Amino acid sequence: MRSSGALLPVTWDGCPFATLCRLNMAALLRSARALNLSASPLLLSPCSSAWPCSGTRYYGTPAEQKVVARDEPSLGVRNKQSHQFDWALAKLDSSVRRTGRVTKSLLQRIFHDICRTGYPSGNQALLLLRSCGSLLPELPLAERTEFAHHIWGKLLELGAAYDVSHYNALLKVYLQNEFKFSPTEFLAKMEAANVQPNRVTYQRLIAAYCQVGDIEGASKVLGFMKSKDLPITEAVFNSLVTGHSRAGDMESAVNILSVMRGTGIDPGPDTYLALLVAYAEKGDMDKIKETLNQVENTDISLMDRDLMQVVFTLTVAGHQQHVPEVLEHLRHDGGFVPDAMNLCLSLITQGHESTAFMLLKTFPSVQADSQNSNGPDVGNFFLRHCVNTNKSPEELVGFCKGLMDSNLHAAPMQFTLYCALEAKKMAIEVMKTMKEEGLPIRPHYFWPLLAQHKRDQNTAGTLEVLKAMQELSTEPDIDTYCNYVLRTFPSVDSARTALAVLGCMWLCVLAVPHWSFLGLSAVSSPSLPAIDIGVFRGNLITLVSLSYFLLVHVCTGNLVPPRPENMAYFLYHLFDGMSETEVQAKEEVLREYLQQLHKKGICIPVNIYRGIRNILDSHHVPELIKVPLLCNCYTELNQEVASSSHTWLMTSTAPQGLESRVTLERKLEELKAQGSSGDSAGAALIFKRLISAVCAEENLPRALELKAEHEDKMSPSCYALLINLCCRHDNPEEALNLKRELARMDSEATLDVNKYMSLLRVLSKHNRLEEAVDILKEMKEKDVVVKDTAVVLLFHTFSAVALRGDVAALRRLQDTTFALGLAKPTSNLCSPMVTMYLEKGDFAGALEAVMECETQYHQLPRIHDVLCGIVKKGDTELLQKAMDFVSQQRGEMTVLYDLFFAFLQTGRYREARKIIETPGLRAKPGRLQWYAEKCIGSNQMEALETMVDLTAKLFECDRDEMYHYLLCLCKDTNDWSKAEAVWTKMQEENVIPRERTLRLLADIFKTNNQEVPFEVPEVKQPSSVTAFSSVAYAVLYTSSWWSLMSLGAVYHAEAYNVLKEAERLGKALVPACYDALIKALLSSGSMEDAMAVKDIRKQTCLSLSFPDALASLKTMLQMDQVPSQLALTRLVQGLGNHGDIKGIQEVASLIKSLSPSLNMSSMLFVNNMALAHIKNGDLERALEDLESLYTQTADHSQQSIAFVFRKVVEAHNDEAFDKLRTMAERLCHQFASYKPATDLFLQCLDTGRVEEARQLLQVASLRQRLRPFSISRGAAQTCRIKNLLELIPDFAEKELVYAYMMKCHAMDKNLEAAKALYRRMQAEGLQMNELSLKRLAQLYKKAGEPVPFEEPPETFKFYADKLKASTLPSPEDD
Amino acid sequence: MSAPGKKVFELFVSKIPWTLGTKEVKEYFGQFGHVRKCLLPFDKGTGFHKGFCWIGYTTEEGLHNALHKDPHVVEGSKLQVQQNMMPFTWRRMDKEAEES
Repeated sequence: MRSSGALLPVTWDGCPFATLCRLNMAALLRSARALNLSASPLLLSPCSSAWPCSGTRYYGTPAEQKVVARDEPSLGVRNKQSHQFDWALAKLDSSVRRTGRVTKSLLQRIFHDICRTGYPSGNQALLLLRSCGSLLPELPLAERTEFAHHIWGKLLELGAAYDVSHYNALLKVYLQNEFKFSPTEFLAKMEAANVQPNRVTYQRLIAAYCQVGDIEGASKVLGFMKSKDLPITEAVFNSLVTGHSRAGDMESAVNILSVMRGTGIDPGPDTYLALLVAYAEKGDMDKIKETLNQVENTDISLMDRDLMQVVFTLTVAGHQQHVPEVLEHLRHDGGFVPDAMNLCLSLITQGHESTAFMLLKTFPSVQADSQNSNGPDVGNFFLRHCVNTNKSPEELVGFCKGLMDSNLHAAPMQFTLYCALEAKKMAIEVMKTMKEEGLPIRPHYFWPLLAQHKRDQNTAGTLEVLKAMQELSTEPDIDTYCNYVLRTFPSVDSARTALAVLGCMWLCVLAVPHWSFLGLSAVSSPSLPAIDIGVFRGNLITLVSLSYFLLVHVCTGNLVPPRPENMAYFLYHLFDGMSETEVQAKEEVLREYLQQLHKKGICIPVNIYRGIRNILDSHHVPELIKVPLLCNCYTELNQEVASSSHTWLMTSTAPQGLESRVTLERKLEELKAQGSSGDSAGAALIFKRLISAVCAEENLPRALELKAEHEDKMSPSCYALLINLCCRHDNPEEALNLKRELARMDSEATLDVNKYMSLLRVLSKHNRLEEAVDILKEMKEKDVVVKDTAVVLLFHTFSAVALRGDVAALRRLQDTTFALGLAKPTSNLCSPMVTMYLEKGDFAGALEAVMECETQYHQLPRIHDVLCGIVKKGDTELLQKAMDFVSQQRGEMTVLYDLFFAFLQTGRYREARKIIETPGLRAKPGRLQWYAEKCIGSNQMEALETMVDLTAKLFECDRDEMYHYLLCLCKDTNDWSKAEAVWTKMQEENVIPRERTLRLLADIFKTNNQEVPFEVPEVKQPSSVTAFSSVAYAVLYTSSWWSLMSLGAVYHAEAYNVLKEAERLGKALVPACYDALIKALLSSGSMEDAMAVKDIRKQTCLSLSFPDALASLKTMLQMDQVPSQLALTRLVQGLGNHGDIKGIQEVASLIKSLSPSLNMSSMLFVNNMALAHIKNGDLERALEDLESLYTQTADHSQQSIAFVFRKVVEAHNDEAFDKLRTMAERLCHQFASYKPATDLFLQCLDTGRVEEARQLLQVASLRQRLRPFSISRGAAQTCRIKNLLELIPDFAEKELVYAYMMKCHAMDKNLEAAKALYRRMQAEGLQMNELSLKRLAQLYKKAGEPVPFEEPPETFKFYADKLKASTLPSPEDD
Repeated sequence: MSAPGKKVFELFVSKIPWTLGTKEVKEYFGQFGHVRKCLLPFDKGTGFHKGFCWIGYTTEEGLHNALHKDPHVVEGSKLQVQQNMMPFTWRRMDKEAEES
């Protein structure tokens, strides 16, 4: 077993090393400490090779680290940042999982990101460190270690807390990079940092000694491990094989294998690998072959990856002549290609590219099928790495020819050139070779080079490229000049002069007019009111620089900005046209421009915003999206979401109090006594309630009595109740009778699905098969949908039949159900048939049943149990049959996993290992998860542990996931020592735990009062109920609330808990929270919880105290909660309402200092300040502020003070109203600012102040400034439109106004008014649009009147869309 | 933006190998009909094109000829060719922008 035996303790009798271990580790440590003390000045000197990054500050104790950690500014920022680079870490992780390597640039980028944002978490550090070893095959060994040290030091500076897993990871990196270091010093460092070494640490230290052939050193550590009773694992012995061989003692090396056997550990594949590598170092091919044969006779199999290690060693040791022989042994299994790629890369890095090419030629050539006829391109990675490592052009050409000759690559030269252009290395040389080969050289091949020179403003470089173009007889074209060459030069003249030297004058002349045209068009545009962007659109991408130029001028005010939507397109195209690097380079400038545009009142439609956001996302500049201009759209999007849940309403059903049966019976009697004149409907109602009360008491006889007494009052629902009661009482006869009576009474009557299910259950239980089948048919006829719980009921019905062993009945029921399509034949629903045989121990029968299910319904119910049964019984013939069948139906992969799990389940681990080591097998996460969860559910630690062990080398297996399963089980059994062993095992395997794994581990430690030996990652979701410090805090909490809500079902429960806690504390949330939660709970089926929330919502009234709220805002900001915009708006409005000027100012400053990412409309503060002044009686001040708003800024199309008008009107503050009106009029006359007057006008219309509106219209000469736009903006209100029409009878867009009016009438359900409108339109000779006609028709229908015209046949949506498609904005678009 | 009513016959071509320039692409698609425009956007920062382009034919016939041929293999690489749906989307976006 490869590693499952690894934890077995070893008995030391007869071990030759035991005698060597005189010195124990304590002594070793003592000496190390002494060494450390004496050597500290030495260590600080730069010549210390062991710790290039040394200096004691890098090894701060945890206590010191904590100080650093506490100094951090803000958890909120931290969370945000950690979210930001989570994707990067995921990318790194997936790269490792997929390809077994990481590129240096990716690693550097992520490292840089982490450094820039700060606060590296423990596992981020681990991931980075781990990546600095053999995962970087493209980097020389020394450079890798250097990088690791750089990371180690830098992260420590940033406050990373290192635990034993980090030290172990660093050790692994040292081993992989063959870095020479002093193990004693290493231990001393650990001790200084107060980190306890563990088994893995010692193991790796032994390996380090062995790597340099220091058996004595290894033995010291070994002795110490022994004294500490640490288990000696296979890995230790493997190291010793290497150690002895490096010490030149092959005999002892070979001898280790028998020593191992003597201690009860069988040599595993890694042991043999160590031996093979030892022989390879010596170049002893005979011994290698001998060992390979030896391995074949055991049940161990060496993977390709192992043999590649041998190839590598042979090459590096200078025995490459033997490589072909080893290559013959490769099996080309599952992970061959990524492993071989990594080997090639390593070999190239270390200067052995010819061996690498030998290996490359064994790569499988992708069969180029004619359909997908992109030629083969094996070896791209090879060529690229050769370019990057500066192999000579001659060598590269040789490889290219080799690849072409062996048909591995169709166009290797072109690809090499591509790489050369990317790396800006040898490109010209490669092109020269290509030209010799007769391949075309095109002008745009030179652009990447020119682009670089352009960026660097490197005129000399540019000229050199041009010269090379001439030499290669490639004429630069216009694009080459315009886009690259000319732009490198500071001016046209300098370009002309320089180019003249090259004799390209004529082209230059051609190019210059083209160039100046661009400038000219831009210069001349100020005279135009709006730029027709459409003209540019087609060419914009090629004219990015022009657009950029224009943008600059728009921002600086030299140009009048185009209409908003055109401006939006303009921006979209600008970003689209710019490259990622360009955008990133100009990020700051762009941000500034966007902010300026924002100030100019440009706004961007949401749909275009989406496009821009996507582009910026893909350019990795998400920060730009947060610029106010764009951010507003973002919040608009969010508000859409918020308001949609806001308007969601709950249909309330009054809870019925439980009335006692007695009361009801008495009431009924009373009604009866009153005689027939009594209220029959009322009696029926009371009767129904009586029946349900009796049913609730489970009193069947009484219920039937009542029914007999009151036949006339039996309604379908009463029947349904009674039928269900009969079913519960196992009385199929009576149930059927009732059902028949019901059918007679109302043939359409349909029971609900659960009642049908009870009927079905009772009937099949009593073997009344035909009636049961009839029920199924009736369900089909009446379209009863079987889902969720009903399916479970169906399953139980089937199971009950199966339990009786009635095959025929079960088959009949199943077949009918599935044939009718009532339920899908799921594995679960099919399983009772198999269960029936399994219960009897009839595995042949069970297998037959499974096979039948598969052929009929494509389900393999309980195949795992069937296989387990067969394996236990040892019936090889039957097992073969099962395997053949499953393999034929589902493919080999499925069989292999089925067998694997069956062997695991039955404890046949040897067989299980053989299965999982099948060449070509890949990890199937879903299947592994299934079995893991099964083990967790049934507490099978051994089976689960074995699975995790056996899958260690399974291709693409997510190791963290596997260990997480193990920890889940540890959590269930509360076994912390097992959990600790799992953690050590993870270090041994070099697995990086994800944060949730670490949290789970920490959780297990904590619940057992154990110290957590690592830094626990912060929980990112705020969930603490204690966070509710006040009512307003709860309101402000909304933002995190939404994030809870958006996270899905798990968090809904959390949200519900928070809410309950809030209720207990007497706090309230904003209504939207309740609504969203109700909705979420309903969607996840938690009806009861949803009702409970509804009740809480009813009880909680929202009286907020605002000073309190302000205090809470501060608390919240201190706690790094970011308040929602909605909450802030409410708060500011509330403060305004109370006249709390100081409060508003305080909020404004708090928000300002918070971060620019939270962008509130400035009008929020302005308006509410004004209102607060008015409230305080300081009307003058309010007017002053408002007026300055319009007189001091140029553009105020977005500045609306409608809110102030509305509040004043609502408060009936006539004095303020008059003054405001005067102000609005003055603004019209003196400053040509019509916005306030327009707002006021509309406000008057809304509130029915027609007279004031009329005056305004005249005084402010507003008429020509009113656009249909403004009415469509506001809610469609009848009075507004009516008043408008009254005031402006010749309003231009009458048809539109009428359409709105019809919408209003439809909403008010006012048929008479609608009729009148229709007549009026006919009289005026206007056509009513289809949507309005449809509305009118609906009104007629609802009122029960015949529709006097032909109703438009399509749906509302159809006509609404149709209208939308026409140019007029329709009344539907709000 | 094309004026409504005026038909455009455009292809959207992707998976264009980096070795092909505007001239080569235009030449290749010229065999199906007269090419009115050929837009192969280049990333000015890197100097490489973005791997896709738009081809506008003067006639519907050219468009159809090009769409009928499959596969389109140029210098050993298979191009992905489809009718351009973008003008439609642009028009739609214009509308929405005007309404909002």
